[in-house]
Amino acid sequence: MKEFELAPDEHIVRESRKHWFVFLAVLLPFIIIAIIPFALPRVITLVPQLAQYATWFDYTATTPRLVLGIWLLITWTGAWSAFTRFYLSVFVLTNKRIANIKQHGYFSIEVSILFLSNVQDVTTDVSGFLPSIFGMGDIIVQSAGAIDEFRMRNIPRPEQMRDMLLRYISEQSKNTSV
Amino acid sequence: MFPLPMKIFSFLMSGSSMGTFVTWAFYIIFAFWVLYTLVAIYHWLKYSHASLIAIPSIIVHLAISFALISYALFGNASFLSSILP
Repeated sequence: MKEFELAPDEHIVRESRKHWFVFLAVLLPFIIIAIIPFALPRVITLVPQLAQYATWFDYTATTPRLVLGIWLLITWTGAWSAFTRFYLSVFVLTNKRIANIKQHGYFSIEVSILFLSNVQDVTTDVSGFLPSIFGMGDIIVQSAGAIDEFRMRNIPRPEQMRDMLLRYISEQSKNTSV
Repeated sequence: MFPLPMKIFSFLMSGSSMGTFVTWAFYIIFAFWVLYTLVAIYHWLKYSHASLIAIPSIIVHLAISFALISYALFGNASFLSSILP
């Protein structure tokens, strides 16, 4: 991990990203933008007053083809960039702490770290139709440290993550009390 | 019905002005694409270098991008030919 160094006796237990449905929602505008140059010529032919503009979308001609290629290149690069941000934003649970790495944009990364020994309370929040169907939700971790609340949003199977967190928290408290 | 856009389009299509404009637009967009791609690859390699997805993701991006650039310039979209007009 480049974002934070693991201690010698520390290991990563689980890495969790946001639910794939969240990524699909982010991807949707790019899909619509990519479809526009293919849908527009068909829509135009339905309106007689606009039919004359149909020649603009003759992609066998050099200029419309060049414009379509540029359009799709920009759209694709934007979609790939969204995937990059989605993939690089990750929640990491180690046997000692949890880290929330948020890739806001290029050259803008936020890393929040909470030691398990500071955790006071763990709550899961699955609310809404789609989150219930797809099994995604938030985990809210209350801490005694400088960070009052640590929220992991839209993660898949939050109950599993919560149980795993609680297991390592109890192990951590056993180790510190011995 | 819509004379203004048609006039602008006719003006742009006259002579080489449209072609020159699109060519320069393409150069500028290509320069941005190169910069954007380099920045994204840097992030993939720096923050997710150990991930199994990092290298395949970069390869897929470059392959699709080069196919689209080839389509825009020469009309040959390589493996994307079946889905592009």
